[in-house]
Amino acid sequence: MGMLTLRRNRKNETGNSASLSGKDTDSETKRRGASQWAVAWRRFKKHKSGLFGLGMIVVLLIVAIFNTVIAPYPARPAPDALKPLYDGEAAQAPSWKHPFGTTRMGLDVFSEIVHGSVYTIYVAVAATLITTVLTVAVGITAGYFGRYIDELLMRITEIFLVFPSLLLILVFARIFQLGNAEPFYSFLGINIPIGLTMIILIVSIFAWAGNARVVRGEVLRLKETEFIQAEKSLGASSWWIMLKHVFPNVLPQIIVLATLSMASAVLVEAAVSFLGFGDPNTYTWGRLMEESYSDMSTTWWSEVFPGLAVFLTVLAFNLFGDGIADALNPRLRE
Amino acid sequence: MNLLEISNLKTHFFTEAGVVKAVDDVSFNVEKGCTLGLVGESGSGKSVTAQSVLRIVPKPGRIVDGKILFDGEDLVQKKDGEMQRYRGKRISLIFQDPTSSLNPLFTIGNQLSDIVIQHDKVKKDAAIETVIKTLKLTRLPDPEEAIRRYPHQFSGGMKQRICIARALLLNPQLLFADEPTTSLDVTIQAQIISLLKDLQKDIGMTLVMITHDMGVVAEMCKCVVVLYAGHVMEIGPIETIFEAPHPYTAALLKAVPRLDQTRKLISIPGNIPNLITPPTGCRFHPRCEYAVALCKEKKPPLEDVGGDHFISCHRWRELRRGA
Repeated sequence: MGMLTLRRNRKNETGNSASLSGKDTDSETKRRGASQWAVAWRRFKKHKSGLFGLGMIVVLLIVAIFNTVIAPYPARPAPDALKPLYDGEAAQAPSWKHPFGTTRMGLDVFSEIVHGSVYTIYVAVAATLITTVLTVAVGITAGYFGRYIDELLMRITEIFLVFPSLLLILVFARIFQLGNAEPFYSFLGINIPIGLTMIILIVSIFAWAGNARVVRGEVLRLKETEFIQAEKSLGASSWWIMLKHVFPNVLPQIIVLATLSMASAVLVEAAVSFLGFGDPNTYTWGRLMEESYSDMSTTWWSEVFPGLAVFLTVLAFNLFGDGIADALNPRLRE
Repeated sequence: MNLLEISNLKTHFFTEAGVVKAVDDVSFNVEKGCTLGLVGESGSGKSVTAQSVLRIVPKPGRIVDGKILFDGEDLVQKKDGEMQRYRGKRISLIFQDPTSSLNPLFTIGNQLSDIVIQHDKVKKDAAIETVIKTLKLTRLPDPEEAIRRYPHQFSGGMKQRICIARALLLNPQLLFADEPTTSLDVTIQAQIISLLKDLQKDIGMTLVMITHDMGVVAEMCKCVVVLYAGHVMEIGPIETIFEAPHPYTAALLKAVPRLDQTRKLISIPGNIPNLITPPTGCRFHPRCEYAVALCKEKKPPLEDVGGDHFISCHRWRELRRGA
């Protein structure tokens, strides 16, 4: 099916370029919606798995925003979080009252997952923002200015690529957890967990290097294209070319890399928390898995459902990212 | 009067394999208001010469030596900031492939008006007006509509018209056209050539046609500079070049199909030499059917043979007598 549409598109393309007439391309071409974003959106709307990923992300967002409404039990450290324990409902298998069961400690797994989704979104968005800023800054500067700047930045990038990142993330996570007197920082009435923020920073610092190399490569390719040469020959300055011509042309790549790095940030944070190096004051999905991994043989649901939540979220981001990559791929353009 | 005087220009590329002498001691003048043809095979240094004048030689290349006098000022000595005001405004360049020389992300109006805004510091409306006026000049149908479109919505010939308009936006005195018709099909080629010819006549601008198509040269140019492997082989008015040419020019002419003659096409044997270790003496001698021992030893000077005609060949006297 995919191949079929692809072939049809190709045929159209050659058909157009082979026409000898100096006439305009057909005047029926929709003038509005000819920009690459409109084209990409039209393509994305036809991408089934990408739409499915987007749908799952939307569900996750709704759950995170309305977590207090959706979850039947409040989040820890509220005492009511342990209500199932007092009701004598600890370590229960999934039922209508406790859809994902309860833990041995007497926590409602469904409620815990719903509350944890807020942290998942925070990790995905914050880590991706930091990673992308670093990626863009290093990738474009190295690629565009070349020479010594490129050499220097690429050697730094390699340093980040050669070290086993998970190991270093764990070490730094432990170091930065020690000095925190206050567990939360209040900003505009929102309590931001400091320990988790530290982990996000560390994860981001170890995530940009590969992406920066991709962006640099893309910039190097663009630099050789004739339209950049043409702009130069028309008197445009380096900054102008970089902002106006190079950056918009690598933007699709950057967006794809950013979506995919959401998935990996969620995964790495879950791994760090699962290994017990997470923020002790936040109950992320990884943390839930860490708390109950020893109960796998008895209350398996308290382990499996948080794991499933991580799996589905990572899957959603990856599907969405693939959809975006296909939609923005100029080679598949209609 | 000469608008451009290039003397002893040397532009070399410092690659890991060695120094590529792409342009090596090239001198010629371009008369104001006239069309000059810059001819030669691929790799003969035509494009690099144009890039040198605009000072946009890609790395690792740079101008090593020589003078480029434009309107009496040496461009080689200019700072990069000063050069930026020359590019587009006083000297422009049209590229070979119009499809890849327009940014696919922006509408024609946006990318062309940006150039006007950058140079002349005018308002967007005024810039758009200039763009429409210039697009009309290149006979693009319905320019008011065209500025709202993206490059992929035009055909190749249309795009080349847009590129020509882009180069002419700021009324440059000197225009380089770097094989402007190579990537277009034959009928469009003819249209673009006649457009350039008319524009040159109407605006009175100075045009340097970079090409390997002797037909285009014959149709458009008043005088011709023949380059080979970074050296000037011959300079002269169009009539004399086609009559009593240099062995290399003769070989080029034999490789062009002619409608008025039935004969085989004769290609030049061998390949263009490696420019890291170019042949000694005359750079064409390994492929020249008239080469003698002297050609290998000594580089022939560019001799004035009369009538504004210059030849760099040891044997031009004998060859002319023979012909």
